[in-house]
Amino acid sequence: MTEVMSGPAPYIYVSTRMRVRKAKLIPREEYLRMLNMSLSEFTRLIEEMEYKREIDELSASFSGVDLVENAMSWNLAKEYQRVITLAPGEMKGFTRDYLHKWDIQNILTILRGKTQDLSDGKIRAVLVPAGELDATMLDRLLAETNTERIVEILPEKQMAKILSAGLAEALETHSFGILENKLYKYYYATLIKAARGGMRGGLPFLKYVTFEIDVKNITNLFRILAQGKSNVSTSDVWIEGGSYHVDELERLCSVESMDEVVDTLKKKIKSPVLIEALESLRERKPIYAIEGMLIAAQLNQMDNVSKRNPFSISPLLAYLERKKYEVSNLRALARGKEAGLAPEILEKYLVM
Amino acid sequence: MAIETMTIEVAQAMASGYTAIGAGLAVGLAGVGTGLGEMGIGAAAVGATAEDRDMFGLALLFTVLPETIVIFGLVISLLLLFQ
Repeated sequence: MTEVMSGPAPYIYVSTRMRVRKAKLIPREEYLRMLNMSLSEFTRLIEEMEYKREIDELSASFSGVDLVENAMSWNLAKEYQRVITLAPGEMKGFTRDYLHKWDIQNILTILRGKTQDLSDGKIRAVLVPAGELDATMLDRLLAETNTERIVEILPEKQMAKILSAGLAEALETHSFGILENKLYKYYYATLIKAARGGMRGGLPFLKYVTFEIDVKNITNLFRILAQGKSNVSTSDVWIEGGSYHVDELERLCSVESMDEVVDTLKKKIKSPVLIEALESLRERKPIYAIEGMLIAAQLNQMDNVSKRNPFSISPLLAYLERKKYEVSNLRALARGKEAGLAPEILEKYLVM
Repeated sequence: MAIETMTIEVAQAMASGYTAIGAGLAVGLAGVGTGLGEMGIGAAAVGATAEDRDMFGLALLFTVLPETIVIFGLVISLLLLFQ
């Protein structure tokens, strides 16, 4: 289709739609109310929300919490595809690049599932076709029994190249960790390249990508520190393109004093949101609490970027991220309630 | 004497011509300004209404707000033409 839209109007149109959608997401007070509901009350509430259509569609195949969980994943995937359709011109390309991480997640889930001899139905239940690989393509990949063949038929050739290079080792060691790291490194490199491509809001978004890489590296650092000293090299873990050099992060892995780690990390950080989060990490905390804090800092930073650049790619991506955490919160609530977890414990795992 | 009469006539004609140009510019430039203002508001209004139909009334109100600039331009042009 010929591109007829030009000027700031398409950005204003899409940014406003995303802002309205973001405003409709579940607020903190509603989560607190949900925490005290029984599983049946919670399920009924979900059925009355925007997930109703998906619940109706999938009710023949699933039931109970499985139905709620699958309906939410399905809703998330459909919502992301709708956003891609809405995004104009170059914004569409950048949104696709950003949603590429779902492709990585889906492919790795399929490969992991296949190597563990899980049924196609079980693997399909955890797939979220929110990226470039749609449900039809994912079904095609699932139908393949040979893992090498799955990699071969992937439409994204660069990703297929990375996968085929490390697949033999991953199958031998039964661990896809290294492969996952390589794919995410490629993902962030692509994102940085796209952000530098001269798109409106691209440069502010580049700062956000750098911030996201920093958060990922800091999360990995705290995970390694929580596990204690390890002789295994961690150089593959770090993602390049952030504020920290790989050598610096590797050195921090062997530092015992948490104050020293936080002080060193703070030196290169400008974002007040992240500095505040880092300050609270001086005392040792469980890893889920650290991750929760860093995710909250990341979402706040994204909101800040989208407020400073109201008519750019940022409001769209801010909505996509918030939506992702809404679904993950609701899934955590559904599963947590099914397992009989206390509301106080569940609350710690929610991103509000 | 004839030259002086001609000069006054030409001056009067030129004055009314400039008045007409001024009146045209007042409405025309005000219209361009309104258009620029409405471009952003209109796009946002359509976006907001697409998500929530209840916003239609408010969105329409905000969209037509820059129309006041054209009314100012029109008033100026009418004052110029009928002074």
